[in-house]
Amino acid sequence: MYKLRVNGLSAWFQNKQVLFDIHLEFPEKKVIAIIGPSGCGKTTFLRCLNRMHELTPGARVEGKVILDGKDIYSEMDAMEVRRKIGMVFQKPNPFPHMSIYDNVVAGLKLMGIRDRKILDGIVERKLKEVGLWDEVCNDLKRSGAQLSGGQQQRLCIARALATEPEVLLMDEPTSSLDPASSARVEALIRVLKNNTTIVIVTHNIQQAARISDFTAFIYNGKLIEYGETKEIFESPKDPLTEKYITGRFG
Amino acid sequence: MNLRKIKNALIRITSTIVVVLITIPLLWIIFDVFIKGISVIGLEFLISLPAPIGEGGGIANAILGTLIINAMACAIGLPLGIATGIYLSEYSNDSTFSTFIRTIIYTLSGVPSIILGLFAFALIVIRIGHYTAIAAAFALSIIVIPIVAKATEEGMRAVSIEIREGAFALGLPKWIVVTKIILGVAKSSIITSSLLAFARISGETAPLLFTALFSYYWPRGINEPMASLQVLIYNYAMSGFEAWVIRAWGASLLLLLLVLFINILVRRISTR
Repeated sequence: MYKLRVNGLSAWFQNKQVLFDIHLEFPEKKVIAIIGPSGCGKTTFLRCLNRMHELTPGARVEGKVILDGKDIYSEMDAMEVRRKIGMVFQKPNPFPHMSIYDNVVAGLKLMGIRDRKILDGIVERKLKEVGLWDEVCNDLKRSGAQLSGGQQQRLCIARALATEPEVLLMDEPTSSLDPASSARVEALIRVLKNNTTIVIVTHNIQQAARISDFTAFIYNGKLIEYGETKEIFESPKDPLTEKYITGRFG
Repeated sequence: MNLRKIKNALIRITSTIVVVLITIPLLWIIFDVFIKGISVIGLEFLISLPAPIGEGGGIANAILGTLIINAMACAIGLPLGIATGIYLSEYSNDSTFSTFIRTIIYTLSGVPSIILGLFAFALIVIRIGHYTAIAAAFALSIIVIPIVAKATEEGMRAVSIEIREGAFALGLPKWIVVTKIILGVAKSSIITSSLLAFARISGETAPLLFTALFSYYWPRGINEPMASLQVLIYNYAMSGFEAWVIRAWGASLLLLLLVLFINILVRRISTR
């Protein structure tokens, strides 16, 4: 029933604790928004879900993150975790030395999948999924860095999807995009949740309300409130949540 | 006119004059080499062996020798330099040890090349008892290593944290992230530094005098004395024979063109 269960998660940078004993459950094939003011720890929380946090020197995690019954910290290795739990970043980050084609299948090709037919099929399917196929199908050999910001971000989503992750983490994926591109990415998220559990960090409260099924509000590294988006926005139980979503701070 | 404008004009005029002054000898050298060298360059000059004085002859063995020695020096120096750069950028964790290594390597680039030649002479030539192109390649490779190591390290360090994390987030192991993503992004700075290193060793003469020395024949093997353009220029220019001196100018022009060509290539690659 639950795709991902977070159990007593705490995180540190050196000696500074940034997340405090977080408990949460993410249902399968839903969109879960993580909201909170800047610096509250929401990005760090997201990065703990696919073991990206530990790449930062001096960073440390305690607690469990359970994917389909297996703890990603003690029962899986980091590479396996990241293949099952994909990630899209705040700033589009296509590999500048690779073509559009190679960007999409980078994760597969570099892990040894060479069959041209399989790769061709995945490139077309994933680019269609993110709505980029019609725009780039005639120049797949072009560098991914030459695309516009919005196209680059959709390319990065296609790249993350190519390894068929079960969970997709998105760290403010529209914050560097113009409104039209943001709308396209939001529409894409609604489609993607048919197959994938999506956890999205956003500082845009309206965006959280528009696209998510569940919302978690984090403040100063603590989970303040978590529940169905409708309830959080219509009848928040915690006064802090209410203040934040009505724009009185943050 | 106020003081600020006067100062402004002063700086502009001074720097312009300096630029013109230093450009003159530079263009003069190129012009002079071109005028004196161009007359001798022809098919025979490029494809035949040196002949006794007064009978023409070419410098083909020296052209081939320089290419062979350079290729060997790069075959040794490039992998070692690139590997060093990878270590310093991705695996050193900025420890005291890596600072030590970095200091050593960058000091190496300041060592006069004649000392590298003497070192190769003592280490290889004396031990095996004859002059050899292998010793030359060894000496020149020590010039290649720091150039390429530095460019590799800087090129890889310049790859942004966003690109690195994008690669790790795909579940790629570190060695693949390093060799296929970070090294791939840094590729053009590594290629340009390799070309510049090649150009640089094409002009080194002192290390060759102690190692490959010279030969009037085709290269017979890499463990033999070998002709090179640099030593040919040195020998011929000092010979006092008109026919050889003019061939020294021809060889100089060839070297100059090679270096010029490499620099244009580098410029095209790095602005692409």
